[in-house]
Amino acid sequence: MVRRFLVFAAGLLLTAPLAAAVLTVRVVDAAGRPVRDAVVTFYPSAGARTPRPGGHYVISQQNLQFHPFLTIVPVGADISFPNFDNTKHHVYSFSPAKRFELKLFAKDQSRTVHFEKAGVVALGCNIHDQMSAFIVVADSAWTARTNAQGTVEFGDAPNAPGRITVWHPYLRAPNGTMQQGLALNQHSASFSVRLRPPPPSMPMDY
Amino acid sequence: MRSFRSLSTRLTVQFALLFAAAMLAVSAALSTFIAGAASREVEGQLQSSGAVYDRLWEERANELQNAAQLLARDFGFRAAVATGDQATMQSALGNAAARLKVRSAFIVTADGKITAVDPSIPAAETRQLWDPLDEGRLIGVSVLSGRPRQLVAAPIMAPTLIGWVVFAADLDPREMRGLERLSAIPLHAAVLAQAKGRWLEAAGSMSALSGETASLAESHVRTGAAFEMRVAGEKSIVLAKPLPTFADGQRAILLLAYPKSQALADARKLQLALAAMTFLGLLLMGFATWRAAGRITQPLARLDEAAGRLATGEHVQVRVRGSDELARLATSFNEMVGKIVEREQRITQLAFNDVLTGLPNRTMFHQQLEQLFRASEGNGSLFALHCLDLDQFKAINDTLGHPAGDALLVEAAQRLRHAARGSFVGRLGGDEFVVLQSVGPDRGAIDRLARDILSAIAQPLTIDGNELVPSTSIGIAIAPDDGNDGGTLLRNADLALYRAKEAGRGTYAFFEESLNQRAQERRQLESDLRLALERGEFELHYQPLFDLEQNRICSFEALLRWNHPKRGLISPADFVPVAEDTGLIVPIGAWVIREACAEAADWPGQIRVAVNVSPVQFHRGALHETILRALATTGLAPNRLEIEITESIFLEGGETTLRLLHALRAIGVRVALDDFGTGYSSLSYLQSFPFDKLKIDRSFIHNLLTRDGASAIVHAITELANALGIETTAEGVEETAQLMELRAHGCSSVQGFLFAEPMTAADVSQLFRDDRIALSDVA
Repeated sequence: MVRRFLVFAAGLLLTAPLAAAVLTVRVVDAAGRPVRDAVVTFYPSAGARTPRPGGHYVISQQNLQFHPFLTIVPVGADISFPNFDNTKHHVYSFSPAKRFELKLFAKDQSRTVHFEKAGVVALGCNIHDQMSAFIVVADSAWTARTNAQGTVEFGDAPNAPGRITVWHPYLRAPNGTMQQGLALNQHSASFSVRLRPPPPSMPMDY
Repeated sequence: MRSFRSLSTRLTVQFALLFAAAMLAVSAALSTFIAGAASREVEGQLQSSGAVYDRLWEERANELQNAAQLLARDFGFRAAVATGDQATMQSALGNAAARLKVRSAFIVTADGKITAVDPSIPAAETRQLWDPLDEGRLIGVSVLSGRPRQLVAAPIMAPTLIGWVVFAADLDPREMRGLERLSAIPLHAAVLAQAKGRWLEAAGSMSALSGETASLAESHVRTGAAFEMRVAGEKSIVLAKPLPTFADGQRAILLLAYPKSQALADARKLQLALAAMTFLGLLLMGFATWRAAGRITQPLARLDEAAGRLATGEHVQVRVRGSDELARLATSFNEMVGKIVEREQRITQLAFNDVLTGLPNRTMFHQQLEQLFRASEGNGSLFALHCLDLDQFKAINDTLGHPAGDALLVEAAQRLRHAARGSFVGRLGGDEFVVLQSVGPDRGAIDRLARDILSAIAQPLTIDGNELVPSTSIGIAIAPDDGNDGGTLLRNADLALYRAKEAGRGTYAFFEESLNQRAQERRQLESDLRLALERGEFELHYQPLFDLEQNRICSFEALLRWNHPKRGLISPADFVPVAEDTGLIVPIGAWVIREACAEAADWPGQIRVAVNVSPVQFHRGALHETILRALATTGLAPNRLEIEITESIFLEGGETTLRLLHALRAIGVRVALDDFGTGYSSLSYLQSFPFDKLKIDRSFIHNLLTRDGASAIVHAITELANALGIETTAEGVEETAQLMELRAHGCSSVQGFLFAEPMTAADVSQLFRDDRIALSDVA
């Protein structure tokens, strides 16, 4: 999945029209510890670009869990939901970005959903409350998750002012999102976030 | 304490104070403990009531939360909330609130939108709940529209958190009353909540909330301990428990109040009872201590008093009760008193009684005597003093031993006491006894008593197997005729006693004035006798003894003469007894021996000298030494000295006398038995000692020619003496016929006026010078 995303990012790099610069964003928690797997998006005011649509993504249901927990897809991606469990699942989303229900599909059945609208989609299973997964439908080419050091580097970010958003499933803010502006020639940004504890069934490092 | 004079008071006060202090301390401790225990119990009851409230609270919260969670999980409801379907949200919420009987319910969405079923709560207040909800607060008290309420929330997950369902239950008086009813004690319950710095009373029956009480309650919330506070005008024990609040900065307190008067009513009763019992106990203890002290000190006081009386000479006894130490002390005291009495009697007895016979002694006799004199002076009555002296007591004592003598004295005392019943009988010492007899008009009673005494004493008795026939002599003086004082009376009775003795013993004699005269003469004689030796008033005369076989003088008997300067020549018969009584015979006898030996040393060698020796010299004088010294100084051959003794020396100290005689004979001194044939003449003496000579008493010679049998006796004596190889001398030969007769009987020698009267030493010397030794003419 990550690898796939890197390939996708490399694609973005090749098509950069503007003078590119490296933008580094760092996310730490209240105690100053790096926060990994936070989704950072840069929206430049000039030279904005959507990621290339298409590609096929899979979010499986196995052992009463979604796999993977977090998926970043470009707008217009299709995601298939194969069920490897013996039980039926009722996958749903009430997220404004994509509302859907995949009602009671059994083992080895797979459904595919098309995501045409940018935003965060929270997935749940109406049968199994502990099942949770997130899909970030990206509408900006500069969308990536933080690494273990809590940083994201956009090597080809246009040297333009804009805004940066940080989303994390447990971030304590409306819609789990924080944002800040980026000035011209500003090549780094830092977010200090407050996280609420994950639900009991969820490991912190998903 | 020291000021208490009585031991009883001191004991009472000390012990009472001690016990009272202990009792008060115990009571105080108990009272404090009761109060503490009651307080703890009340607090415990309050705590448990608080715990009950906690449970109620929890159950209610659980019920509400379960309902909220149920609603929050409903897919349709979640879909409605997620999609903002207001109508569906309102209806679902209203339905649940009605089912739970909750007046207010609302939904707070994650982005802060509110959907409420109770329009009375301002949205602004509701919106403030977002922060605590977002922080995960799901249960707690919060003030909404001016009223504290219990809030319970459940998150709506779709699947991420999209909002919360919140139920707000009223904390109304009904609920508080329910809590009050559940409690085991009659308490008042109230919930206080603080909103915007203002305390509100949620509910409850206290209805007397003031800022003061609220802050007081707040300050005690943290300690968790009960405290006292006025609730509704009543002092109460109050427990303040913190209640969880929904939002930070809010505070809620559960107040549980227990009116103190009710809470501690039982303890008060208990304390009152304790106080009453303590007081009663103090009274009882004081009384008991007083009684106990009395029991201890009463016997002591009695002993004290008895000891005081004992000191004054009274013979007291204390009553003994029980068997404790005090009783033993009392017993010992009584025994001590008994012993003191006994000792006093013994001392009196010793002071006034003779130990051996038990008769009153001389001291008591004198007292009695004086008493009788006084009585006599008063009423002119007469009384007689009998002085007794056992005859021959000294001889019995010496021959049979002192224990026998003592036995005789005891027996005599008993007989005397019996014979003289009703009269005072005493022992003055030795064998001297006295009887004081009161005499009425009949003077014959005196004679009768004397005779009774004589016959009583004269009964035979056996001592150590020896049969004795004791006898006594009695001298009687009658007061006041024979003496106006004890001394005179006793002396006169003694004189009478001498007379009785002289009269032959075993008889009694009355005092007469002549006796007094004689006694004075005798005393004069005594004092003259003492001086006679110093003044050289004694002189020896010598009477020759004529040997009938050799027809010559063979010996001279030395005879003592006293030339008294006033009375002239005094007969030895008059002064020798006095000299013997006074012991003067010892120096006089020694002088005689020395003088006779010195004289005889000048005589021709064949002439012996004979000296009379008194028994007193034998027993008291150092006769042996005297003779040895006389022989040594004069150079007289021992066989020229002949001592003449009488049988009476054998009456006292037989063994000693015999040893002495043998000793004298061993050195060659000759021993002659004088006055043979009179007195107790016993032939056994002749067997026990080898006498050199028997001197036949002059009474036989005197009667030789006139009385029948005298000749036969003289013949028998000479025959016996010849048979034993003993010489014989006839004394008092005055006639030639007597001489012829004696010659015929074979008598060895003669002595008497027929040959020569006693002559002076000078005449003897002259005789030898004239060489007229042979007086054969006469024969």
